[in-house]
Amino acid sequence: MDLNNIAEEFSQCNKCGLCLASCPVCRELLLEKYSPRGKIQLARYYGRGDLELSDHFREIFERCLLCGACSITCPSGVDLKKVFLEMREKISEHRDLHAHIKSMVQSLAEYHNISEEENEERGEWRELLKEIPDHMYEKDRAEVVYFVGCVSSFFPMVQGIPRNLVRILDLAGVDFAILGGEEWCCGFPLLGAGLSNKMEELKAHNLEKVKALGAGTVVFSCPSCYGTWDEHYGTDLELLHSTQLIERLIRDGAVTLREVKAMVTYHDPCDLGRGGGEYEAPRAILKSIPGVSLVEMEKNRAQSVCCGGGGNLEMADPKLSRTVARKKIEQITQTGADTVVTACQQCIRTIKSEARRQKIDLDVLDITDLVLRAIGPS
Amino acid sequence: MLSEAIANELRAIVGSNWFLDSPEDLATYSYDGFLPEYKPDGIIIPENREEIAAIMGLANKEKINIIPRGAGTNICGSSVARQGGIIMAFHRMNRILEIDRENMCAVVQPGVVNADLQREAARFRLMYPPDPASMFVSTIGGNVALNAGGPRGVKYGVTRDYLLGLEVVLPTGEVIRTGGKSLKSVTGYDLTRLMCGSEGTLGIITEIILKLVPLPTSKATLQAIFLDVDHAAKTVSAIMASGIVPTTLELIDKVILDVISDYGGASFPKDAEALLLIEVDGEEVLVKAQGERIEEFCKERGAIEVQRARNAEEAEMLWQARRTAFGAVARLRPNILVEDATVPVKRLPDMIRVIMDLAEKYGLRIGVLAHAGDGNLHPLIMTDLRDEEEMARIDKALDELFEAAIGMGGTLSGEHGVGIAKDRFIDMEYSEKAIEIMRGIKRVFDPNNILNPGSFL
Repeated sequence: MDLNNIAEEFSQCNKCGLCLASCPVCRELLLEKYSPRGKIQLARYYGRGDLELSDHFREIFERCLLCGACSITCPSGVDLKKVFLEMREKISEHRDLHAHIKSMVQSLAEYHNISEEENEERGEWRELLKEIPDHMYEKDRAEVVYFVGCVSSFFPMVQGIPRNLVRILDLAGVDFAILGGEEWCCGFPLLGAGLSNKMEELKAHNLEKVKALGAGTVVFSCPSCYGTWDEHYGTDLELLHSTQLIERLIRDGAVTLREVKAMVTYHDPCDLGRGGGEYEAPRAILKSIPGVSLVEMEKNRAQSVCCGGGGNLEMADPKLSRTVARKKIEQITQTGADTVVTACQQCIRTIKSEARRQKIDLDVLDITDLVLRAIGPS
Repeated sequence: MLSEAIANELRAIVGSNWFLDSPEDLATYSYDGFLPEYKPDGIIIPENREEIAAIMGLANKEKINIIPRGAGTNICGSSVARQGGIIMAFHRMNRILEIDRENMCAVVQPGVVNADLQREAARFRLMYPPDPASMFVSTIGGNVALNAGGPRGVKYGVTRDYLLGLEVVLPTGEVIRTGGKSLKSVTGYDLTRLMCGSEGTLGIITEIILKLVPLPTSKATLQAIFLDVDHAAKTVSAIMASGIVPTTLELIDKVILDVISDYGGASFPKDAEALLLIEVDGEEVLVKAQGERIEEFCKERGAIEVQRARNAEEAEMLWQARRTAFGAVARLRPNILVEDATVPVKRLPDMIRVIMDLAEKYGLRIGVLAHAGDGNLHPLIMTDLRDEEEMARIDKALDELFEAAIGMGGTLSGEHGVGIAKDRFIDMEYSEKAIEIMRGIKRVFDPNNILNPGSFL
């Protein structure tokens, strides 16, 4: 069945079951087949020809956040997430995709974004900016390219993130540009759909456009775009998540932070933390803002629990995604903080939407919200 | 194979969502934490005692094997369908029914996860002491069935020491209750304890009453490094003989220390031969004094380095080596066999030497982790199951290992269980008559031999 690239992972699994405790999905769905250990077994069965890729098989592998908590937990070092991604590739070759995922894939082919909107609309978040330079950040040359990402470009709930970031970069005197309508989806949703082979065109386009600006650095506010570039683009460009750049600007004294009184907790986005290995830059930012006190959740950093917004689960099983979000909100409120700060637009959407549904009074902020507040009106 | 008619009867009892026989379900309930896999004929997930009684009544009549399974984390193969049958899982019976503060006990359903009970008890400043390594996943029902232990066992003992009472559905479908909330009870045979460690062969546990203890307010954590395993072992004996009862007394040998260093888990002096991790808990004044005395014991007996944690973070740092040990070892080879031979605490150094000799004799790589304070050794045998020749050498080494342990007055298994992992060795430890008594007990409970058949008896 050509699973040679993950066969080693199967043989390394001792079936100890410790991954079960880390998995937000199997804690809800209970049955062993939904657990990380169970999915490894199913992949192994498929690999040796003992199981077909049935619809049920597909449904099981859709019920996964690709959050990577199991991979971190595994004492034997099995990279379960790698297995799950590979199995989604196999499934997409043999089965019809979930209807919602199929339409997302079509949108990428047609519009180069996930939202079935004309790609020229990518820059509409700029409309609410009070001040904006004439070039509207679409320049011919720049040292840094800010890759905004589909979600922050098209979802009004999180369009504040690019607005915050461009203001921070402006105030810090960074020479940067955006690609506007020439920014195409990074391809991340295709990985989750098991269609990594469809990424090539997007990748080539984005790389070409960044190079045309003569930029040496690409900065991302979306941890998933950042991770996708980092792992799949094979480029020598410096790639930074916005928290890494902001932390550097603070360290270099390029921005001055005034007091903001707030008690906050920080949610580690899966793709920034476990994925990108970046736990400290956002915390360093929070600690450098006078008046902000950070109280950690019981499970933080590598143990952070997914918000429910990962793995395209929102498309395959929205109810399950919401249940996971509800559990996340419980962990947030247990800290006593009434504000949760994170560094991912998808986490914000998931947590904020569920808090609203549950009528929970919780401030959900992107870290750029807080930084901009600390920089103050200028 | 199960007939469709019987499958339908089972569906009628639990509802069609909770009887599973899809290929995906059969594949994923075919294993536990041990090696061999056996595909069951179905999986049934009851919600309460009544459903279980109805299932057992039917199973007994139709002679269908039932194999109870908690979270499937045991490492002796005690929850697989060795002779076919239906796996009974307790995912839906996962409620903590009561934390009774006055009587210092908890009443729980079998599917409650150990760590969830720990967390809930802590809210009442109480503690449920047994802490198996699987505690974040494993269920109390499984812990009782396997009489699970853990690192805190030196001071606090194991699951059976906290078991006050049970509700059990017998293989015939009848329900019995044993024990209760009273701490003392000498009426009749101790059926509660008979169920404990019975590995799912006597009855289905549907409710459990557990004793809780006050949550200790303070603890001291120490790490000592020795150039000689004997010195470490003698320190263990000295501590145990001194009247101090440590909560935890763990030993890590050189093989594992080297692996941990290579893996980047922690670093140790180059010629370190053994590490002791020692913890005491209780009232602050006492704990502090005990910590100081233990430090002296270690130094007097040749420790080249002793660290005593000044706060919780430092304590966590000292635990780092022990916590990474298994993972670091597990990454070296595809498979790892965790043995569990246990000896009276004084024979610990002898047993460690036996293991080292066996590793050399059979050309195996074996590291030793030990709950040294109670003589419970966990030799970690690094291997690859696909290597038949090496597996044959391991089999020979195990024969000798168990003979040595029993020769020292020890046992095949301190806390992991017999299951299908050690059933062939049981006559080393018990006489034919003793085994016959166990078989007789099994027949009284389970005349048709439908409950976890083919396990250790």
